[in-house]
Amino acid sequence: MIRRLFTALGREHDRALRTLLALLCSAALLQGFAFVLLVPALRELLGEQPEGAWPWVAAQAVLWLGFAAVSYSATLAGFRTGANLSKDLHHRIGDKVAQLPLSWFNSDHVGTLTRLTSQRVIDIMGVPAHLLRQLVDSAVTPLVVVAAMFLFDPRLGVAMTIAAVTAAVTYRVAGRSRQTVDEESDRVHAEAAGRIVEFARAQPVLRAFGRTVDGHAELDAALTAQHRAGRRMLRAGLPGIVGLGFVAQAAFIALLAMGTHFVIDNSLGAVEMIVLLVLGARFVEPVMLTAELGGALRAAENALIEINALLDTKTLPEPEVSQQVYGADIDVDDVHFGYDDVPVLRGLAMRMPHGRMTALVGPSGAGKTTVIKLIARFFDTDSGAVRIGGADVRELRTEDLTSIVSVVFQDVYLFDGSIIDNIRVGKPDATDTEVYEAARTARVDDIAERLPGGWDAPVGEGGGRLSGGERQRISIARALLKNTPVVLFDEPTAALDAENEYALRQAMTALARDRTVLVIAHRLHTLQEADHIVVLDDGRAVEQGSHDALMALDGHYAEYWRARRRAFGWRLASDTADAVAMRPPVLDQTDTQPARVTPGHAG
Amino acid sequence: MRPEETPAPGLRELLHPARRRLTTAICLQAIAAVMAVVPLAAVAELARTLLTDPVVQARAWTVAAVAAAAPVAWLVLSTIAGGLAHYADLDVQLSVRRQLIDRLGRVPLGWFTNRGTGGIGKAVQHDVDAMHHMVAHALPNLTSSVITPLATLAYLFWVDWLMTLVLLIPVAIGVGLFVRAGMTMESHTSAFDEAQRRLSDKIVEFVEGIAVVKMFSEAKRAHRQYATAADAFATSFLSWVSHAFRTSAVSELALSPVTMLLTILIGGMTLVSNGHFAAVDLLPFAVVGLGLSGPLQALHYYSHDIENAGAAATRVGRLLATPVLPLPTHPRRPESLTVQLSGVAYAYDDNRTVLNGIDLTLKPGTITAVVGPSGSGKSTVAKLLPRFFDPTAGTVTIGGVDLRDIAPVDLYRMVSFVLQDAQLLDSTVRNNIRLAKPEADDDTVRRAAQAAAVHDRIEAAPHGYDSVIGTDVRFSGGEAQRICIARALLADAPIVVLDEATAHADAESEALIQDSLSLLAAGRTVLVVAHRLASIVGVDHIVVLDEGRVAEQGAHAELLTANGRYADMWRLQEQSDTSLVAANITKEAP
Repeated sequence: MIRRLFTALGREHDRALRTLLALLCSAALLQGFAFVLLVPALRELLGEQPEGAWPWVAAQAVLWLGFAAVSYSATLAGFRTGANLSKDLHHRIGDKVAQLPLSWFNSDHVGTLTRLTSQRVIDIMGVPAHLLRQLVDSAVTPLVVVAAMFLFDPRLGVAMTIAAVTAAVTYRVAGRSRQTVDEESDRVHAEAAGRIVEFARAQPVLRAFGRTVDGHAELDAALTAQHRAGRRMLRAGLPGIVGLGFVAQAAFIALLAMGTHFVIDNSLGAVEMIVLLVLGARFVEPVMLTAELGGALRAAENALIEINALLDTKTLPEPEVSQQVYGADIDVDDVHFGYDDVPVLRGLAMRMPHGRMTALVGPSGAGKTTVIKLIARFFDTDSGAVRIGGADVRELRTEDLTSIVSVVFQDVYLFDGSIIDNIRVGKPDATDTEVYEAARTARVDDIAERLPGGWDAPVGEGGGRLSGGERQRISIARALLKNTPVVLFDEPTAALDAENEYALRQAMTALARDRTVLVIAHRLHTLQEADHIVVLDDGRAVEQGSHDALMALDGHYAEYWRARRRAFGWRLASDTADAVAMRPPVLDQTDTQPARVTPGHAG
Repeated sequence: MRPEETPAPGLRELLHPARRRLTTAICLQAIAAVMAVVPLAAVAELARTLLTDPVVQARAWTVAAVAAAAPVAWLVLSTIAGGLAHYADLDVQLSVRRQLIDRLGRVPLGWFTNRGTGGIGKAVQHDVDAMHHMVAHALPNLTSSVITPLATLAYLFWVDWLMTLVLLIPVAIGVGLFVRAGMTMESHTSAFDEAQRRLSDKIVEFVEGIAVVKMFSEAKRAHRQYATAADAFATSFLSWVSHAFRTSAVSELALSPVTMLLTILIGGMTLVSNGHFAAVDLLPFAVVGLGLSGPLQALHYYSHDIENAGAAATRVGRLLATPVLPLPTHPRRPESLTVQLSGVAYAYDDNRTVLNGIDLTLKPGTITAVVGPSGSGKSTVAKLLPRFFDPTAGTVTIGGVDLRDIAPVDLYRMVSFVLQDAQLLDSTVRNNIRLAKPEADDDTVRRAAQAAAVHDRIEAAPHGYDSVIGTDVRFSGGEAQRICIARALLADAPIVVLDEATAHADAESEALIQDSLSLLAAGRTVLVVAHRLASIVGVDHIVVLDEGRVAEQGAHAELLTANGRYADMWRLQEQSDTSLVAANITKEAP
């Protein structure tokens, strides 16, 4: 546990932790000596001349002074270490998270991470502040007591040693059985929680389709089953939970029986026996208290295990010095890539020339977004290479790569703060003039005008107060401000309202000027303006060329273009002539065609 | 009429179902705590017996036997108490979860969209956890921590009252300071809580926005806002504890066994010297009195746990007190399907009015489109119909009956919807499609899927219609949306709300979704929220919203002639993609 604490905190905390441990050990030793000193004091007190105990009492008082000084500073040091520890742990975790490959961020990991930085770190903060003292006490005090026993009566010393070993073993065994119970109970608990969250999430659908009554029943059955499982688990785990207490008490009883026996056969003085029993009680107590605090200890230990596991997670390897980059051509060379076992790209080869706009089209699942993520090195290819200006992205340091590449995502995430704050993310040291310039070019001024508070209007959690198109414009402003030679752009698929659509197009045109741009295109306009179009299907580039050339080819692209055009011409229309209040269910007419829809503009 | 308010249940109410067992567990634990003192007291008595009259062997063995039997009793009692507490805990968890589910099933749907499911997750996970810890562990332990010192003091008082009073000096100082430290901390806790809340907000942002952080932040460094929050958290923790950590350090020292020992020796020696009692009588204090510190020092942990659990229970309680959507006492059934909005207003709070004075009629079998710029309140209008929220003023009626007077079962049989975000359950595809009619046969399910153009995709999944969504198969946004449309087709409600249903579709899905939407719309009363004006030029009625009010309404041609807001929007869109398509494609007059 203590070793894990050192690992989690890293080198720079070694000294503070060592000092704290030394203080705690001294306090525990002094406490042990104080207990041992009780033996001569009581011997004198119970002897012929009780006054003879005074010097021992004086010695005790001196010990106390030493103990008070050490223990007080240990408590203060514990609190301070706790606070510093939280700071450094949070930073270590944060820096690590920023380096993890994007593929790491699935919903499980994200949930764990939030808990790690909140509850888990607080659990660990309690270690130097409180628990460490308990741990040190429960190890050092019994040791001193056992050593003293040997001094006074070796037979009882041997008995105590056996008891100490048994207690240690039981503590381990009981701990393990408790851990099994805890893990199982955590699992059951998480499952139940997950079901309730799903129930909440799906409320609109469940209710709209009249399923809340049945939904209740199903969910309730699941919860009841989990409740039963919990009871079974308890019956299995309970003996382990009380085991340690049993051993500690048994040790005391054994000591008592042996002592009584020795006194009766006159091999031990009554006074000595009593005093040794007092010591024996000191032996039992810290062990019992540790058992009671077991929950807190295990929580802290599990927290440390989780944090160390996170800090140990592999990140993408990086060179010491970046390879030289010449220009901003992007070369995707025979790239294979898959998520887990599902292949997404199978030998993709494409080239994006410097200063040109390349559009990427293809069906969903073809791997379009993956291409962008590989260029930005959110993860590495399985085989093949991505090169920018001739340099493999794996041969570039992160800071060099991000100084070349900007990404405008489809789902733009905005940080809680003002519009201006969010643009400034692109270049934190930008002057106000630069920020406003980028904002105006990306047509963010319209948004600032609409919102009360203007430029300083809060965007809400995740950008919730803005529409998708507006968020994307802010993201474009960010990229403009960052001003990198390469821009990767995931165009929104969603239909936008007229004003948004128009503003977004203007912003995008500004961004595309003089840069190497790769755009995942959903807009017909974009396709027409692109210098080069790559059609992705089944993980490969199946067609490449200009719009006109590809239309003339009459292949995948032409087909896609026609489908898009048809979608564009779609109209939801009414034919009031046969409108009836309650018409027969549509499914009774098996061959129903979308009859009352005016066909799109046929080509 | 505002949603019904109910007072938030506290910890006591939440623990109610386990009250009896919990009480029994605490009583047993209390007896066990007394038993824990017996062996030590027996040792003290043994000492007094052996030292005053060394030959009374029989009595010595009796006392030793009592001392040995007490731990056995302790073991049995505390095992039973622990078991009872754990079982009680399981029951509390079940009951709290049941209450949560019951509540969640009755709150206005809009409540979920406004607040997200994160808070609910926290309540059911962490907060129920904190309560579990208290019921299963902290309460029994706290009982021991209180009863053991009390039993000890009672015994010592019986041995010698004056010496007990002396021993109480450090105890009183220690406990007094402990309480004071606790109160000081309590009064400063809000700043620390705030720092903690901020930090967890920031980590969520950091992780959600990880792609942006990786692209734009300083390489390999955590997001700046997160780092700042982490520093603030540490500072706030230190300043929080600094109000009290000297006090609690002194308290800890006063309650430490070394201090007790010194008190016993000095006090005892003094009392022995001036003949108040025999030296032998000091033994019980040395043996038992030293045992006071342990439980008292542990008090700190348990009281902290119980505080945490109290705070957690408050959050759960608040969730359980979320106002529910009032249900009609005398539900009425609408005779016709005309939907009427009269003088409808909606406001999130006093400062944020979303809709104001909306009058609108949806005639049976017609399609009505709602258009307008972002923030005009389009989606809110759509969400009033399936009663995601109730209007703050005015009424929404179907066939003249206020939605609030229609039983939810009847309402949802009449109104179905397809929203921007396709919501699928983690269940089989089949169950997802036949959600509204669980008894629907396979053939019906298949026909619905075919009509929604998603049948082929489902067949391609590992187990076809029996594939579990999320486990066996993941659907793209467009595919998920078509499954939702299949579901709505099967539900076959006469009134349909479409809220930007193609928003998250990919290009090739869009056409398929459009086809199935057209099918869904056929012959029903439809309210559609649309972005692309071209897609709704042919509907019966277009309502233009601006800043929560109806700016214009009428058919496409009328609105163009009127040359108002709609005509502006239309012209702007023509400059956009529309013009391109219009120019590129053989033109056809709408």
